[in-house]
Parts: sequence; structure tokens; C-alpha cells
Amino acid sequence: MRGFIFLCVSCLIAPAALYSQVPQPRTARDSLARADSTARADSIALVRELEGIQPQPDTAGRTRQQTSTNTRLLPDVSVVGDMIADLSPDGSTQEGEARLGIREVEVAIQAAVDPYFRGDVFLGVSDEEGISIEQAFLTTTALPFSVEARLGRFLMPFGKQNQLHRHDLHTIEHSYVVQDFFSPEGLKGTGVTVSKVLAPLGFYQELQLSLVDRIGERDGSLISPEPPNRDLGGLGYAARLRNYFDLSQAANLEIGASALTSEREQPLLTAIPDNGDPAIEINAYNQRQSVIAADVTYRWRPLQQGIYQSLILQGEVMQQRNPEVTIPENLGPTGNRVGAYAYGRYQMTRRTFVGARYDFVEGAAGNDTNTTAGSGYIEFFPSEFSKLVAGYERLKRGGDNALNRFILQAAFSLGPHKPHPF
Amino acid sequence: MLKRLLKYATAAQLVASVIAPSAAAQLRVVTSTTDLADIATQVGGSKVTVRHIGEGFQDPHFIEAKPSFVLQLRSADVWAFVGLDLEAGWMPLLLNGARNRKINQGGSGYLDVSRAIPLLDIPRGNVDRSQGDVHALGNPHYWLDPANGRRIARLFQRKFAELDPGNSAAYAANSSAFEAKLSAAERGWEPQLTLLRGKPVVAYHTSWRYLANYTKINIVGFMEPKPGVPPSPSHLAGLIQTIKRTGAKVIIIEPFYDRKTADFVASKTGIKVLVLPPSVGGARGVNDYIALMRSDIQKLAQAIQ
Repeated sequence: MRGFIFLCVSCLIAPAALYSQVPQPRTARDSLARADSTARADSIALVRELEGIQPQPDTAGRTRQQTSTNTRLLPDVSVVGDMIADLSPDGSTQEGEARLGIREVEVAIQAAVDPYFRGDVFLGVSDEEGISIEQAFLTTTALPFSVEARLGRFLMPFGKQNQLHRHDLHTIEHSYVVQDFFSPEGLKGTGVTVSKVLAPLGFYQELQLSLVDRIGERDGSLISPEPPNRDLGGLGYAARLRNYFDLSQAANLEIGASALTSEREQPLLTAIPDNGDPAIEINAYNQRQSVIAADVTYRWRPLQQGIYQSLILQGEVMQQRNPEVTIPENLGPTGNRVGAYAYGRYQMTRRTFVGARYDFVEGAAGNDTNTTAGSGYIEFFPSEFSKLVAGYERLKRGGDNALNRFILQAAFSLGPHKPHPF
Repeated sequence: MLKRLLKYATAAQLVASVIAPSAAAQLRVVTSTTDLADIATQVGGSKVTVRHIGEGFQDPHFIEAKPSFVLQLRSADVWAFVGLDLEAGWMPLLLNGARNRKINQGGSGYLDVSRAIPLLDIPRGNVDRSQGDVHALGNPHYWLDPANGRRIARLFQRKFAELDPGNSAAYAANSSAFEAKLSAAERGWEPQLTLLRGKPVVAYHTSWRYLANYTKINIVGFMEPKPGVPPSPSHLAGLIQTIKRTGAKVIIIEPFYDRKTADFVASKTGIKVLVLPPSVGGARGVNDYIALMRSDIQKLAQAIQ
């Protein structure tokens, strides 16, 4: 079996490596060189003509050919700052209970590694967590058959919203189903994900398969008798199928289905000494947990005046599947529970958007632990590189009184122009 | 079992290698804009199939990276784009999604058309975002000058001949024919160019710098205080004074911008608001590159007369 897997991987990688080693035809190199020299000569001549400057080595030499070339092979470096003000009447609802705080500063370093890989590193810096590796992954660029593999730590291709960085969300925070089932920053995984673009039925489909060390971040306070990933069956496995349809030039629909499964530590009411080392106290046990999800996104944006008007409607539903646990001291979830959100965002002017979201998450221990929330937002984008958001949310968690939350957000980005998330 | 699988894989590879050259008989070209698509069609003729991502009435800065475009790019032999960061907001997502080595940077079909163009508005000194959505490598709206239309055609001719040497003579002939048609058209609109020379106009965005360079119209102000920044009241107040002082007769605006602010300035100054297509397909009847240049020049001359 191992031999067969090795052979398959070799078959995938070897043709790409061989192809890239084939020297470019002489005609191609000559043509590019001619294009470069012609462009340089034209630029210099026109700049002189238009600006009436005398030919001087310094001025003539400072052409686009030089300014646009990254001669030092430096990677792209960009920074995103994400600041929050929590004006909720009953006190701050932020981590650390800060009223005014920097939620995170993210530093991104990105470049092509070599002809076969692209590298992306995202470091998160926050008062609560210090410096952490948010994401760091290699992405293949030379695999045949429209296959792409990503190795490292990444936002898991699971559901729709989870694949966006938190500061790229249209809302201030992730939906509660993502927060409760995974984490406030979404679900990340360390491992490998392989995806292939398909179109057997004439529309865009993408299948993404992931294998990660574990689902969700490790809670250091939970100690189970053995690591959940001790057996290969305990690793995290995920799959997502993304289907995209153009309804017209202005409207489109995306429907996705996702599933994941892994062993996860679940807490116990009381700790017991480890059989092997009594100094260690076992306070968790491993239990399989699976999540299935479906998402739908409708987008409308007229082509001609699309910088002024647009609409997004999005909904996502997830079911967390846990076995019925018979351990009396179990504190983890038992049985299945559902979470969902529905979201809409309308662009009112070139720089102003309004949005609303409704959240529901079934509690792990009956109806009196359900979470419901309704929220509204207004976003203002002074430019593509900054945004200001004001949000109000009415949140009800379990049997607690409803909480009113007022949150302001300011986010900015420095560095190269990044693609707009779709 | 394994041996049988290997046999099938080898057979499939052989079939693919036999099929591939015949499938490549017609070059599949995808361009970012309709202008590049039209010139590629003129040069490639029946030897190429050409598709485009953006429409002529659409702001090329803000095209959505729809997955359906990925399907077009997946099998493309050539990806031709304007460059100079005009497509920075969407092109990387499409190219990454397409997973087509031929059209990625360094691939044989990756064609940054700006490399063949002499550029205007190359910033000097420090460039930062306080200057608005400035294009640090130069103004990317270069196709609105027939001289650059010719350069684009020659670039396509060289690229197509390089990828498909068997048809290089046809590409050369098509390119020459396109240039001849363009030259004939230019002779036709010479009277309008004479009329336009030195006339003051206002433009909404910096899209018209190359057209101004060609027609010798004088852009005395922009509706946008800085590239990509919507007009502010204080900027408009200053612009109204500029219009009164210079006697500018026309505000040129693209079809994808809201004309309300231009109409407001017109109501204060008597200046005309002229919606001009910046690209092929940007207005009814503007179906090719030469028609685009003719339409823009004639409408401009009519408005200024």
C-alpha cells in the first residue's frame, strides 16, 4: 500500500519537475528580450518627448523596467491591523475584557519559493496570545491535472465563512456556529490539503480533501490517556465540494457541502491519576467528533455600476455529531447538535455597506443552553485599504439574560494590493 | 493489479500526447479586457479563439474573481493582461485557481502587455497610498492611443508566432492588415484631431491620459481628487473654479461611474458631461478597437465644437 502511495505521488510530481526543466526555446527567449529592449527604448523616448527633458544617464536609466523589478527577490510583506472598541452597556465582551484594544496585528510574508511552490506565512500578534503562527504553508504550483496541494498550517477548507481571515469578514466576528464548534478565529489545521478543479457537468466544481494533525487547536489543559492522533484513524479528515453557477452576468450562486471527522479530547468532571505515571492526572478522554455542513451564497453585482451596488445573501448550517456518551463524568458534548446562520449584506453607496446576521447554535446540553443572536452592521470603506465598522448585536446564550453588544472596528492594511476575497 | 494500473496510465499518457498537438492547433487566448481581446482576434484571425474576462462597460479595477473565469483560464494557451496592477484586485485569484502553468508568471503564455508600451504617469520619488490608488508602475489605460494599439498588435503577433510558428506568416499578415486599417481610420478622423488640439477638458479618472496625449486635448482637472478617491465637496469647489478659469467645455466620464457629481458640476458651470466608452463594448455600436477610437474622438469633437 505504501509503495502504491509513493508511486502515485511520484507520478504526480515527476512530470511537473521534468517539464519545468525543459529549456525554453531560443525563439521564446529572444522574443522576450526583444520586447524588453523595445519597451525600454520606447519608454525612454516618449518620456523625453513628453517632458522635454534632456537625456541624462540618471533620468533615462530610471525606467519602469528597473522600478518594477524585484531585483533582490524580496517577498511581499503586508500588515493588517484590526482594532476593536467594545461599548456594550454591561461591560466589555472582548477577550481580556478590554474596552479598547488591538484584536490582532497580522503580518503576511508571501513569495514564490521556487518553480514548484509558493510560500505564505501569516504571523498573528496580539496582547492575549503574543506572537503565533496563524498560517504557514507551501502551495504547489506545478502539479499536473489541475491538482493543487497545500502543506502546512492553513484555514481549513471547511464551510464557506471559515476560509476567510477574521479581518476579511463582512461582520466583526465569525458566526457563532463557527466560534462554538471550532474557535473565535475559525478552524485551522496543520497537515495537507489537496484540491482539484472539475467541470464534468459544465459548471465549476472544486473538490478539496484534507488530512490534518488534529481538528481544532489543542487545549493544553486537557490531558487524555493517549494523544487523539496516536492512531491514524484519530487524525483529522475533511472534505469539501464547492459548486458554482453563473445565474447571469450579474448574479451567481455557490453551494458547498463539507464534512470532517477526528478524535478530540473531551473534559472529565474529575481527574484521575495516570496508570503509568501517577504524577500525571488524566482529565479528558478521546472521543470521535464529526461535523457536516452545507452552505449557500447568492451574489448580485451589476457589471456596469458594480462599484456602487451589490448584494450578498449567505447561509450556512452545520451539524456536530458526537456519540452518546455513557461515561458519567463526561463534560463534553453528547449527541448531535446543529448550528446555523443567515447573513445579508447590501452595498448602499460606493463606500458604504449595511448587513445583518441571525445566528442559532443548539446547546450541548439541551434547549436551555441554545445560543441565538441577531446583529446589524454598517461598514464604511474610506478606501480599499481601510474599513470602519459599527455593529450592534443582541445575544442570548442559554438561560442567561439577553446581552446587548455595541462594537466598533477599525482595520487597515499596509503593503501590496491584495486580491479582493470572493 | 499494480502492473495493470501502470499499463493503463501509460496508455492514457500516450493518448494524451497524441491528442495534445491537434488540440493546440487553435491557440486559446484569454484577455483581461475587451480591447486586448479585439486586437488579439484581429491578429490571430481563425487561428485563435479569444475570450475576455472584463466587459467594456465595467470598471477593470473591480472585476469579481468568479470561479467560472477559472474554467476559461484552465485551458488557455495565452493569458494577456493590461498589467501595471490594473488587475491586481482579481487576477492572482484567477491565475492561482486556474492551475495552468502555461499562463502563470514565467509560463510561455503569460503576456503582460504593458511590457511593450511606453508609459505615462510613472511616479517619481516616494509612492504611497496617501496619493490615492496610484499605479506605482505607470498609468495602465494605455490602449486609448492608436500607437499603442499597434504595439499591442505587434506583441500579439510575436507571441502567437512564438507559440504557433507554423502560422507565423498569417499572424504577420493579419497584424499588418490591422495596422493598415488603423492608419486609414486615423486619416479619417484627422479633422477632429485638429479641432481637439489644445482644448481644455475635465476627466473623471486618469483613464484618459493616453487619449489626451494622442488628441492633444488638455486635461485641466480631474473629478477625483486623487486616483480612485471619490470627489469631495472641497475638491469640487476648486474644480468649478478651474473650469470657469480655463473655459473647459466637457467632463469626460466612464460609463461605470455615477454621473451625479459630474451633473452637479455641470449645473454650476454649464460644462457638458460626456459619457465615453473607455473600452470595446463600452457603448452600443463600439464593437472593435478602431470603432472605439473613432467613437471617442468623434463624440469628443462634437461635444467640444
